[in-house]
Amino acid sequence: MKLELRDIYKSFGEKQVLKGISFTAEGGKAFGLLGRNGAGKTTSIRILMHVFPADSGEVLLDGLPVDYSNVGFGYLPEERGLYPKKKIIDQLAYFAQLKGMKRADAVRAIDGWLERLGMSEYREKKLETLSKGNQQKIQLITALAHDPQIIILDEPFSGLDPVNAMLLKNVVFEEIAKGKIVLFSSHQMNYIEEFCDNIAILNDGKIAVQGALRAIKRSYPRDRLIVRSKDCDRILADASYACASYGEGALMLHLSAPSEKQSVMRALAERYDIDEIKVFEPSLNDIFVEYTGDNGGDAR
Amino acid sequence: MKQFGTIFKFELVSLMKNKIFVGITVFLAVVIAAVMFFPRITDTFDVETPDFDRMNHENAYNGVDDGRPVMAIAAGTREIAEEVSVAFQSAFPSYIVSIVNNDPGQIAEMITTGDVECAFVFDSLIAYKYYVNDLSMYDTVTSEADAVLQNLYYTDAMVQSGITAAQAQEILDMEIESETVSLGEDQMQNFFYTYIMIFALYMVILLYGQMVATNVATEKSSRAMELLITSAKPVSMMFGKVIASALSGLVQLVAVFGSALLFYNLNKEYWAGNMIVDSIFNIPPSLLAFMLMFFILGFILYAFLYGAIGSTVSKLEEINTAVMPVTFLFIIGFFVVVFSLSSGNADNLAMRICSYIPFTSPMAMFSRIAMTSVAPYEIVISIAILSASVVGVGIVSAKIYRVGVLLYGNSPKPAALLKLIRQK
Repeated sequence: MKLELRDIYKSFGEKQVLKGISFTAEGGKAFGLLGRNGAGKTTSIRILMHVFPADSGEVLLDGLPVDYSNVGFGYLPEERGLYPKKKIIDQLAYFAQLKGMKRADAVRAIDGWLERLGMSEYREKKLETLSKGNQQKIQLITALAHDPQIIILDEPFSGLDPVNAMLLKNVVFEEIAKGKIVLFSSHQMNYIEEFCDNIAILNDGKIAVQGALRAIKRSYPRDRLIVRSKDCDRILADASYACASYGEGALMLHLSAPSEKQSVMRALAERYDIDEIKVFEPSLNDIFVEYTGDNGGDAR
Repeated sequence: MKQFGTIFKFELVSLMKNKIFVGITVFLAVVIAAVMFFPRITDTFDVETPDFDRMNHENAYNGVDDGRPVMAIAAGTREIAEEVSVAFQSAFPSYIVSIVNNDPGQIAEMITTGDVECAFVFDSLIAYKYYVNDLSMYDTVTSEADAVLQNLYYTDAMVQSGITAAQAQEILDMEIESETVSLGEDQMQNFFYTYIMIFALYMVILLYGQMVATNVATEKSSRAMELLITSAKPVSMMFGKVIASALSGLVQLVAVFGSALLFYNLNKEYWAGNMIVDSIFNIPPSLLAFMLMFFILGFILYAFLYGAIGSTVSKLEEINTAVMPVTFLFIIGFFVVVFSLSSGNADNLAMRICSYIPFTSPMAMFSRIAMTSVAPYEIVISIAILSASVVGVGIVSAKIYRVGVLLYGNSPKPAALLKLIRQK
């Protein structure tokens, strides 16, 4: 299963929000859609879910235009909210029915999920009586109960305590293992790094960078070393190459070429008391800042 | 269609289970029951204490204060005062008529202290001043007094020209027999239930319209909309909501009017002879059918508008100002109808025009059908325009809704909104 957005343009009035977005998400893998606030993530998701059409471009599933009456979408919006004054089982069943389930099937599936998430005791309660984290778990059920082929999770981890985050992680891994397309949007880079094989970073309505996360990381020149040592001061004084402090008790060394890597590492190990030397790889956070930081993105 | 069914059911159940909805319905039914049982209760009371009335009458003649208001009479001469007071006592049995000194200051004081309710000061038998504290809108004392005085004057005149007092009375008591045959509508007969229905329409549309607007705005502000809009088509959502609230409004009306009918029938014998109440409960079925049709179409039309408006506001507080234009439109229509009805000419130009404008036709056309003779083709045209408008407004509203629910921040201006709708 392969979901593809191809050359999507969208404007609201005078404002062009998407300027030719293309990316591909595959079944059995999680895809991270990143971008600063206002970069066009939510608009892309809404076009993907056919809330409104794109001005131009296509949304394809396995090469064919998506048949929205047949393809199941599960969506956890960033702006959470259900009916605060309604019973949980009633509103969950309502949403599952809107997605095309029969009531009895819906209730059965929901009961399974309530059990799975440890929420069975709240089945008959009104939503507003639950804590924020628990409300979020309830909302997660609306995205999963109808067993959709495509799951879109927008900031799924915000507001969850570590135990619940772990629970959600396991659920997400299970869904990925079932071969579903899981699309993540988040600003919590550690979760994206953990789940997503592929990412796309949106900036100002355009894709700034996309592809396999590992390949993106390796595409950076391997000409920087991180050194942890008690002798930081001495290294800094002796250094014949660009060298800067990298946090407490560590240094970052800029080599003139990646090929110097081996000899410099050996030399350092011989002359100083070294705890650790490693080749610097940018974190997703660094990549994100690099692609969306300086040229501003869209500071809405 | 399946989605519409799901939404319709969900909305209907939440409306029907709403405690306020149930509360208002029960409250209205209880009030109506109380009104309908009222004559039976007072009747029972009267039967148990048959002597009270007679005692009161006796007391009246003895001049003892029995709670009835006092009507003071003063005149230049003792003869005039006495003649008038006898005539007034029989003409105004609900007052104690008593003669007082002809002193304007003293009379004014008696009235302001409340000892005396009203006073007549006579210069002669055909000229008087009437004193009263607050002149009620419905004060008919002077016109009745005029009739009594005229009668006295005629009798005197006739007696002086040689006719006996008895003969004079006979002449004056002559009554003309008449019978009116109405070939069109009997406005007297139809007036009350037309009024009641117009008011019911007014109340229900305003109440439920606001409810639909609030309902949509709540979904938007609680962000349940984010999920709804990705789960269901805006047209299904709009129609589901509006038709569910129309049905619950109808259920409420049926419950209230149904209980009125039930309690009326239980107490029918006690209401016998009350023309107004009788006329209300003798609505011709055809008129009831028209009422139903105009109610449903009018309600849905306005509910669409209210729903669309509800979708454009971001905060619940903004609703009241946002719905004002629609509410005004509706109230203006309502006033045209009510004023035309009470002017007695329900077929005036304003009403004719209003009965073709979809936003006013439910009330205007219904009133004209009830109160005047309207050609069938006029009714057909009016209903056709209204039905077409319902569909048109429904589709436009759903479009506004789809655009509106995703807009947060300031409510868009109508022009900007139209632009967005055209863009899709």
